Amino acid sequence: MKPRHDIQNAVRQHRLMSGLTQEDLADRVGVTRQTILSIEKGKYTPSVALALALAEVFGETVETLFQLKQGDGHD
Amino acid sequence: MTDPHRPTRWRLSAATMIAGTMVIAGFLLTEISWWFFLLTAAGTLGPGLLREIGWLADRDEFQRRAEYRAGYLAFLVTACVAFVLVAHIRSGGAFEHPERLASFLLALLWFTWFFSSLLSYWGAPRTAARTLYAFGTVWLVFAILSNLGSEWTGWAALLLHPLLAVPFFALGWLATRKPRLSGALLIIASVGFFLFFEAPRISREGSLTAIIDDGGMLLFLGPLIASGVALLSVGAEDENEDEDETPT
Repeated sequence: MKPRHDIQNAVRQHRLMSGLTQEDLADRVGVTRQTILSIEKGKYTPSVALALALAEVFGETVETLFQLKQGDGHD
Repeated sequence: MTDPHRPTRWRLSAATMIAGTMVIAGFLLTEISWWFFLLTAAGTLGPGLLREIGWLADRDEFQRRAEYRAGYLAFLVTACVAFVLVAHIRSGGAFEHPERLASFLLALLWFTWFFSSLLSYWGAPRTAARTLYAFGTVWLVFAILSNLGSEWTGWAALLLHPLLAVPFFALGWLATRKPRLSGALLIIASVGFFLFFEAPRISREGSLTAIIDDGGMLLFLGPLIASGVALLSVGAEDENEDEDETPT
């Protein structure tokens, strides 16, 4: 079944603005670099806990990092 | 930007290394007694059981999801084959070597889980590349050792046999750069290999029995075909999967 809610994220942009490598960010939130790579590529949507941890690293809200793609989920 | 083909550091956890040692030791000790195969079982299933109990926390959520997906896929594939086998046996079909049937099902279950978890975690290009490098290395070591041992057939053989490893390394190199081309070549090579080596035997011995009796073929052609199919499905945006941009 196709998921009703596609999520886009701005993790990569925030990571680059913060001067972090994927490895740095992975270490900060306690996951592997592959996990960060998959999130940035949009292949993996993290749990709420990990999303909160990522937002905390960047000093942003979760909604700033993750949004529903336009046209999804509000029908 | 760093080199997009730079490999990710591959860290093996202590649990993985211990489990791997148990698996290999179990296999080797089956020469003494097949009861040592239970050591392989402990190495294969132990880490997963400990993780489920909560005594081992060496996986992040993405890795756990990859393993769960792989487990479900392994269930679907193995159950499909098991249903066909039960129908075949209950309809009066017979197997000359029932022990090979059991091994075949176990190999299918394990292989599907293992390969699928790698695909989910690393993605197709790197899984395929590492599989091909592993195959090439095994062939290289095998070719050198067998020629240096009691089967010494001269320098020409020692130099020529290892050359058969070159296509594995070449396709592995290509897998992260041109995934779809590499996938197509892998499929063609696998089909060619199957038609050349396996098809005559299958038509001679009867399809189902022949396939199951040669579990080694599953472990050889399985990863190549699975890698090929996975590579063919890679989109253009995934071709530089290893990218880790250095911030400016």
